[in-house]
Amino acid sequence: MNDELVLETKNLKKSFGKFQALRNVNLQLHKGEVLGFIGPNGAGKSTTIRVILGLIKATGGSATVFGKDVWKDSVAIHKNLSYVPGDVYLWPNLTGGQTIDLLLHMSGQKHTARTDQLIKEFKLDTSKKNRTYSKGNRQKVALVAAFSTDVSLYIFDEPTSGLDPLNEVIFQQHVAELKKAGKSVLLSSHILSEVEKMCDTIAIIREGNVIEAGSLESMQHLTRNTVAVRTKKPLDELQKAGGVYQLKFNDASKTTAEFSVDSDQIGNVMDLLSAKTIVQLKTTPPTLEDLFLRYYQSADEQKGGD
Amino acid sequence: MTQYAQTLALLKANLKRDWLKMTIWLVVLAGMFVAVAAKFEGIYGTPKQISTIAETLKSQAMVSLFGPMTTAHLNTAIIFASEMMVFWGIFMVIFNFSLSVGATRGQEESGLTEMVLGGHPVGRLAPLAAAGLELVIANGAFVIVTGAGMMVANMPGSDGNGNWLFAVTLGAVGLSFGLISLIFAQLVADSHNVAIYNYAFFGITYLVRMMTDVSNPDYTWFSPFGWIEKADIYTKNNWLPVGLLLMLGVVGFAAAVILNGNRDIDTGIIQVRGGKRTSRFLRGSGTLLFWNQKAISLFWIVGMAVLGASYGSVFNSISKIVNDSPVVRQVLGQSGVRHLEQNQILSFVGILGVIFSVLAVVGGAMVINHLYTEERRGYLQMINTKPESRSKLLATYMVYGFVLSVIILFVALMAAMGAGNSVLKHPLAFKYFWRLFIAMLPTLALFTGILVALIGIMPKWRAVVWIALGGAFVISYFGRLIDLPAWAMKLSPFYWFRKVPLAHIDVAPVTWMLGIAFVMIVIGFIGYNHRDIES
Repeated sequence: MNDELVLETKNLKKSFGKFQALRNVNLQLHKGEVLGFIGPNGAGKSTTIRVILGLIKATGGSATVFGKDVWKDSVAIHKNLSYVPGDVYLWPNLTGGQTIDLLLHMSGQKHTARTDQLIKEFKLDTSKKNRTYSKGNRQKVALVAAFSTDVSLYIFDEPTSGLDPLNEVIFQQHVAELKKAGKSVLLSSHILSEVEKMCDTIAIIREGNVIEAGSLESMQHLTRNTVAVRTKKPLDELQKAGGVYQLKFNDASKTTAEFSVDSDQIGNVMDLLSAKTIVQLKTTPPTLEDLFLRYYQSADEQKGGD
Repeated sequence: MTQYAQTLALLKANLKRDWLKMTIWLVVLAGMFVAVAAKFEGIYGTPKQISTIAETLKSQAMVSLFGPMTTAHLNTAIIFASEMMVFWGIFMVIFNFSLSVGATRGQEESGLTEMVLGGHPVGRLAPLAAAGLELVIANGAFVIVTGAGMMVANMPGSDGNGNWLFAVTLGAVGLSFGLISLIFAQLVADSHNVAIYNYAFFGITYLVRMMTDVSNPDYTWFSPFGWIEKADIYTKNNWLPVGLLLMLGVVGFAAAVILNGNRDIDTGIIQVRGGKRTSRFLRGSGTLLFWNQKAISLFWIVGMAVLGASYGSVFNSISKIVNDSPVVRQVLGQSGVRHLEQNQILSFVGILGVIFSVLAVVGGAMVINHLYTEERRGYLQMINTKPESRSKLLATYMVYGFVLSVIILFVALMAAMGAGNSVLKHPLAFKYFWRLFIAMLPTLALFTGILVALIGIMPKWRAVVWIALGGAFVISYFGRLIDLPAWAMKLSPFYWFRKVPLAHIDVAPVTWMLGIAFVMIVIGFIGYNHRDIES
């Protein structure tokens, strides 16, 4: 990873008539980085990507790729970019193989041994007409074309929504390869485990606002670990301890407990636990799922246990 | 009957979706029909007016366009019937094709049919039955409005039986072709191809009608579209064609039901074969467009060649002067007669130029329209993210569409010339056809420009081009017969070249038409480069 910015949006806004699809989107993608872009349906993921691709024009803010304006310099940017849409629609009368070759030609690429390798890996029958493909197979066509295109930036918009778990793994492997080769990837998804596995940095979008961005670790730091503990002495004091949430005792003597704790309070809580003589301790860092749910539900959360 | 469960619920949904389209069509079709009828006495009321127009209608050129005049005792109503029947029949067929495709394949393509059939207690045949019923309702409404309107218009020579027969025949021909279209909707898997099959079928029936009308009207019974002429409105008032058309419709529907039972959803009876695994040919938007359009382009070119040749093959009967008594021949002399005959064919060729140009614009505009269709269907989302500018993409579609329309026009004219000269004793010179061809090019450019501007700035209103084209056609083809005022005639671009090929081309209209076309194209390109791409 280095500091060279491949993609940047600043206060990006987009309205469709009265509807504000994007209110304030700030993204940064550095060279060699995989940026996970997560949010529920309708939060503005695809709209953001379509602005970045120069398909629709932002109503405010700025977006640059390779330091160039995404709207004015779209043709120059597209020379060095590959995109797989979330819903792939292909000309019904072409075969999958013809489609792949067309897409490669248009990017100034060639059908190479790597292309054939990809077709084999994804188990795609390229002799079939596009109209007979299922959603997953159409996605494979687009993925094969994208992965065998040698460019600097890859943009995937929910690319695995139609793929089975085996193909999903193949997809993840290829993203890892791109990363190793120093390519940059923007991956939008609502499958959190996928993003967690692959991405260096994450941006969470909600109702057109990017509400959190950064590395997974830095976000975990901001949030809570789950702790399961057994001690010799009762743990009543936990109820009053700061930063402890969702406290639940699993026995009458209150020596077995599960709770979550704010990352910045973990030291104090550990001191408290040690004082009660720890028998068994397990802490789990928050998953992306937890983070995600927390951001979306934080408003009405209450302190547990009392 | 469980196969038909929920048909009425689907029908209601269809009507909800199509009511605006149906209303507009019905208002235009029935409204104009009745309006012309009401005005007709003013145009062809006196015996003198009637005998003048009868002369025109009896010429073979008019017979090929409108069908034969079968009676000697003419009145206003009979003139109206013979002018309107074939012409309005064409519109009814187009209207029904459009409804039928939308209610069958169009709906299936959008995924709606799958959702309705798969997830809801709806019978397998319900969508088909609902489509059939929708056609019945649309044509029924036309019959009621038109029939009642004709009673009110009360033309001299009309009677209740004839008025209602007229309305019912038009409704029946529409319904019949609409139901036949349901068969094609089972055969092929996309609405585009269904439309091709529809118009190919209609084209054949139309050509059979035209050619038998000028050679031997008895054979017109071979063409379902020809049956409408056999109703002999206001003369014999023959209801047999209505029965035949309805029977044909029922057979069409039954065949569609059987075929529907033998196919899976989203597929056609005609199987889609696989193809090549690689392609060297496809390199960009241009080759892609050619690849996607090659079949339909060929269909247009061959179809227009056939149409041109069919018109050409009747040139010899058109050249016959209606009033060729020995006295006239003596007065004019042999060269005079020949000159008159030639002028008569050439003015007919001028009318053909309008017809061919309208069809050429349709063929080319369909290609350019595809740019927006593909955009909305999401096909272009990956092309748009390739290093190729929007201007190039639009230019590709525009040039292909325009060139196709030019080729269509040229082929049709050449086929008419070839076939015509093979039946004429004194062939027509190439220069006339060439002059007509050149005269029509500004009009093709004008409509191309209008469409490009619409696609660029307000693609949702692209149908405006069809209204403009339809309007221009009706004005030119029909304006003289219903005696439109001059200012209205001037609205049609064809008006400005109406004397070609007999006279030379006026430079002024060529200049301003090309100027408008150019401005429209520039507007279209600027708009297309500045608007959001839909998906």
